[in-house]
Amino acid sequence: MTLAHAHPGPGADPSAAGWPALGAALSVTVLYLLAARRLRRRGDLWPRWRDGSFAAGGAAVVWAALGGHPGGPFTGHMIQHLVVGMAAPLLLVLARPLTLALRALGPGSVRRGLLALARSRPVGLLVCPPVAGLLDVGGMWLLYRTGLFAAVRHQPLPHALVHAHLLAAGLLFTFAVCRLDPVRRRWGLAVRGVTLLAVGAAHGVLAKSLYAVPPPGTAFGTADLRAGARWMYYGGDLVEVALAVVLGVGWYASAGRARARRARRERAALVA
Amino acid sequence: MGSSSDRPAAAPGTRAEPRRSMAVCAVIGVAVMAAVDEIVFHQILHWHHFYDRSTTGAGLLSDGLLHTAELLMLVAGFFAHADLRRRRALAPAHAWAGFLLGLGAFQLFDGIVDHKLLRVHQIRYGVDVTPYDWAWNISGALLLLAGAALAVRAARSPAAGPAS
Repeated sequence: MTLAHAHPGPGADPSAAGWPALGAALSVTVLYLLAARRLRRRGDLWPRWRDGSFAAGGAAVVWAALGGHPGGPFTGHMIQHLVVGMAAPLLLVLARPLTLALRALGPGSVRRGLLALARSRPVGLLVCPPVAGLLDVGGMWLLYRTGLFAAVRHQPLPHALVHAHLLAAGLLFTFAVCRLDPVRRRWGLAVRGVTLLAVGAAHGVLAKSLYAVPPPGTAFGTADLRAGARWMYYGGDLVEVALAVVLGVGWYASAGRARARRARRERAALVA
Repeated sequence: MGSSSDRPAAAPGTRAEPRRSMAVCAVIGVAVMAAVDEIVFHQILHWHHFYDRSTTGAGLLSDGLLHTAELLMLVAGFFAHADLRRRRALAPAHAWAGFLLGLGAFQLFDGIVDHKLLRVHQIRYGVDVTPYDWAWNISGALLLLAGAALAVRAARSPAAGPAS
């Protein structure tokens, strides 16, 4: 899933870029809440916190899109980057939107199409954790370590596209690492854990390098640059720990289920 | 984190697993010492710098990998520990030995490899760093020795398990 997302860069017109993002985030959130209500009305269990998580993710995107961020221009940009690329994707993915859609949709062509898409080969390749991780953190290295950042900073449309990419790549990476929704191939804990380690390290190294050397073609104040780099470093840590907790909870639950299965089998063997 | 599927099938949840207890708590020890280092020396004392401009590319990369690995180890160790407790398989004596070994191993690694070999950062700037280095590495060695002593005691104890 992708949300059209735009945001007002320094020098851009906030209303022109912010409203489409606001509309998209709002409509996707309303769709989610309606689908969850449909499930509950027919008696399915769908935890309430997932509604809250999705709504918070939508609200985070809107907040980032509407502008007015604290700190200097680089710090403000970086906080926005953290919210759009990491925090919002985590909140949205935790709510298992694909599972909800597949359960809420009645049998029909829409549901069949969605299922075929989720199980298709290209999607399978995209949600392979290392591929998703490379698209996510690779895009960030391109943005901050080439002239791209300086080129798009003052142009509303390319800037909006960069942020849309950030959101899409963040969603893809979070989706692939958390593995909460059903897709073509279920990658194991080792692949997802090592991917998280590699992406976290690449993110941290980029943050530290930004502390010392600004993106080419930009001239941010030293204090602003350093504050932004710290935000990127520690904010990245926070989201990384959150992702690790998601992986840990999944492992703990599946290990418990495996143990219960073994115990049942042994009891059955004893009886037989 | 290994899966628990290779455990003996008989009487699941009652047998202590000393080796796994030690390994899991060593992982937690490493991560806790790394966290103490980050909180005390970076955030509270401000002795360490966020980024020391003399850091080489290799140092920066190893630092990034280590820092990320420590965070993951903390979380992984927490869940593996919770799993041991759930299965009543935690052997406390071995667990404490592993924890101290982890604390000491990280302290020594940080003191020797990070500070001296890779020169990622120093303990303190603008002073003669030698006494700090000695204090750092001796404290690490002491923790490591204490862990080793506990490990030997745990291995010798007759009830090398939950009773110890």
